[in-house]
Amino acid sequence: MKGVVHIPLADIFEKFPDRRYIMFGGKGGLGKTTFSAATAFYLAKKGKRVLVFSVDPQASLTDIFKRDIFGKGPTEIIPNLYAQEIDADRRVKEYQQEIRQKIFDMYKMEKIPEEIESYIQAAAAEPAMEESAIFDEVVDIVIKGGYDYYIYDLVPLGHALYYLSMASVYDAWISKITGLREQMREYDQVAAVMRREKELDEDAILNELLYIKDRINKSSSILTDKQKTAFFFVLTAEEMIIKDTLKAAELFAKFDVPLSGYIMNRILPSDLKGKGIPEYLKNRLTMQEHYLKVIDTTFGNQILASVPEMERDVTGLAMIEKMARAMFGEF
Amino acid sequence: MTEEEKKKKGGIFQAVREFVYGVAAHDSARFAVKSRASMEHLFILITMGDMLGVPILPPYYSLRLLPYVVPQISTWKRRMLREKDFTDGLA
Repeated sequence: MKGVVHIPLADIFEKFPDRRYIMFGGKGGLGKTTFSAATAFYLAKKGKRVLVFSVDPQASLTDIFKRDIFGKGPTEIIPNLYAQEIDADRRVKEYQQEIRQKIFDMYKMEKIPEEIESYIQAAAAEPAMEESAIFDEVVDIVIKGGYDYYIYDLVPLGHALYYLSMASVYDAWISKITGLREQMREYDQVAAVMRREKELDEDAILNELLYIKDRINKSSSILTDKQKTAFFFVLTAEEMIIKDTLKAAELFAKFDVPLSGYIMNRILPSDLKGKGIPEYLKNRLTMQEHYLKVIDTTFGNQILASVPEMERDVTGLAMIEKMARAMFGEF
Repeated sequence: MTEEEKKKKGGIFQAVREFVYGVAAHDSARFAVKSRASMEHLFILITMGDMLGVPILPPYYSLRLLPYVVPQISTWKRRMLREKDFTDGLA
C-alpha cells in the first residue's frame, strides 16, 4: 500500500479522550456510514458506551446493522453499542400537534382558525423543516447525555455545511428579532398606563426567542467545539474526490469545525499488481498509485488510516468488525 | 382613566401621580402605543413572513412563535396586504 500512514487512527482516540463527538464527513457514498458503524463497534469493544445516530433523512444505519431501528430510539446492537435513526417526519408531525395544542390551551379555542391551520401545514411542507427538526433532536440527544461517545452519521458534505451555515444565519436573525422584541418592550413600558394586561404574552415570546437562540447555539457549538469534537474526512484516491475534499476542508475551516484528519477508503490492494490481472484493473491500480502520491503531498501526515476495498459490501456485524480492524488495527 | 385610578391602592398620592402623567405624557404614551403596534406588525412579518410568501425565519422556529400571535394574525394580514399606490386614486 502506497499511502504512508503517519499517526494511526487509534492513537488519536487515545491521545484525545475528551473528543467525544465523532463525525465523518465527505461526499456521498464514500463510506461515512460504514466508518461511523465501524468506529462505534471499535469503541464499544473497548468498553465505551457509544451512541451512533443518523442525522440523514435517508438514513442507512438500519441497512448496515441489518436491524430495523428507524424511529425506535436508541437500540442496543451489541453491549455498549447503541444505534438510532431519527424519524424526522414523525418528529415534525408531533411538533405540529404540540403547536396546535398550545393554541387550544392558550385561547380555549375549539378549532384552529383556518389561516393558522393552513400555515401550520404549509410550514411543515418546507424542505428545511425536516432538517431543522433533526437538528433540534440532535440537541436533545446530546443534552440528555448517558454515553461516552456520540458518533454522528452525517449527511453528505453540502448538507453538513448547510447545517453549520444555517446555525450562524439563524443565530444572527434571532439576535435581531430579539432586539426588536426588547425594543417593543420598552414601548410597552412607556405605554404601561394605557395597556396593562398583555405583559405575560410579551415575556413569553421573548423567552421563546431566547430558547430558540440557546438551542441553535448549543447545536453549532457541539459541531465546532475543539475540545470535544473530532471531525474526520473520508476520501478515495480519485481526482474529483481529492479536489472536493480540499474545497470542503477549507469551508469547514471557515466555520471553525475542528478537523482531526483524513481517512482513505476503497484502496485497491497494491499486491494485486503482479498477479496477472486484467488490463482494466491494471489501469485502476496505476491511476490509484498516482492519486495516492497526490494525497500524500496534499494531506501529508493528516492521513490517519488507509482502508482497503473490501471483497463485499459492509453490512452486518462480521463485516463491520472487519472494517473496524482495517481502520484501527487489531484490538 | 378614572376607574383605573380608583382600583390602584396607592391612594391619593398615586392618583395625583397618574393624573400628572396623563396630562403631561398622554400624547407620548399614545405615540408609544402606535409605534408599538407598527412594531408588532413588523415582528409578525419577520417571524411569520411565509404566510404572505416572504420567508425570513426558518419555519421550524416560526411555528414555535405562532401561538402567541394568533389573535393578531388577521389584522396583520389585512394591514400588510393593503397595498397603496397611485392607481388606487383612479379606482
